Amino acid sequence: MNTLTAKIFTVAGLALFLHAAQAFDLGQELRNAAKELQKPGGSANLGGYSEEEEVAIGRQIAGNLLGAAPLVQDNKLQKYVNNVGRWVATQSERPDLVWHFGVIETNDINAFAAPGGYIFVTRGLYNKLGNEAELAGVLAHEIGHVISKHHLKILQQGKLLDLGSRLLGKQVGDDRISGLIGSGAEIVSRSLDKGAEFEADRIGVVLAARAGYDAYGLPGVLQEIGHSATDDSSVALLFKTHPHPDERLSKLGDAMESHFDGLEGQTAAQRLYKIRQQPGRN
Amino acid sequence: MRLILIFTLLLAAAAQAAESGTTVKSDSVRAAPFSDAKIVATLPASTRVDILKKDGGWYQIKSAQGNGWMRMLSLRRGAMKATDKPLSGLAGLASGRAGTGKIVATTGIRGLNEEQLKAAQYDEKQVTLLESSTSSRAEAQKFASKAKLKARQFGYLADPGVSQ
Repeated sequence: MNTLTAKIFTVAGLALFLHAAQAFDLGQELRNAAKELQKPGGSANLGGYSEEEEVAIGRQIAGNLLGAAPLVQDNKLQKYVNNVGRWVATQSERPDLVWHFGVIETNDINAFAAPGGYIFVTRGLYNKLGNEAELAGVLAHEIGHVISKHHLKILQQGKLLDLGSRLLGKQVGDDRISGLIGSGAEIVSRSLDKGAEFEADRIGVVLAARAGYDAYGLPGVLQEIGHSATDDSSVALLFKTHPHPDERLSKLGDAMESHFDGLEGQTAAQRLYKIRQQPGRN
Repeated sequence: MRLILIFTLLLAAAAQAAESGTTVKSDSVRAAPFSDAKIVATLPASTRVDILKKDGGWYQIKSAQGNGWMRMLSLRRGAMKATDKPLSGLAGLASGRAGTGKIVATTGIRGLNEEQLKAAQYDEKQVTLLESSTSSRAEAQKFASKAKLKARQFGYLADPGVSQ
């Protein structure tokens, strides 16, 4: 038995103790979850959430994040980003999930994903983009987190007790979800392990390529961000929660090797939507 | 006025045709942007180069050891600080944010740090607004066709760390 399984059983025991009055077989549910974790690539099929539950969790997180930074008031921009994002997401294993994309009003440079297909790019990052392929690459990285269920995995590991009592007990309601995800939108800024970020980068370049874009959009953005000064406050959260862009580029380079040689892709530079309105004027 | 300032800065950036770069690992300089093109030179890690232009996954470079094409991911772009500073300063100005990262109360535009994310309150109106812009698969397909974007097969990449 590995340590992870041992940990899960400990928590399972505690959960059973605390919720003995509830009749459903929590122990069995948690043993199932533990089995999932042990499988190769366990993070991808971990949880056993229904899509409905996953979307409910993501919607709550999205609402909390939007409470901190609302959408940029530019409907054409939001529609444009949804078109690019949905087209890229269509190339993933979850083409029929109802994906939502938004640009949020902050000059911080960052992008966020929540379970169930809720994805956000900040105005600060959007303004750094040079073409549509770069936008596609950034969104594709976040789509990678969603299809690999990286945040769900954190929720499952960190809040197993809540999961036991609420999700696995099929008692999900909006108020219950806020208990699960904690207050606010902290989960979107939680550091994933480095492996999860590198994995999302590898998925990102592939999804962009599948969508017909120049696969080097995401690496281009990483290079652009990489030479931001580390004391620049607009990248403080990004640098704190992700490996440094140089390290991501180096790992991505090792993975891409020559696989993309001769693969033509579009940058669609002329179509990149320019945000016209200045903050605070709309 | 602000726009004019931005354009001026962009023009200034464009005028700096050759940008500095540094190799992040040892790699070949090739005569053309193809992996089977003739090797002109091999640069060790941390070599300074001038980046002239980009072509897909390749940068055309000049270096003391030789000129040609290098893989984009073998290089990091550097020495752009001179143009970066006024741009980020301008962005800070436009948002009313001071360079220190402190929030200026007059604008309503805030940065996003962990404390703010923790304190965030759920906003149903904003979620509804978000969902009103959602695109269907068919819409996205139509949008892609307009730019002649075509879906194609491409396998996921292996984790280079796993085979070791």
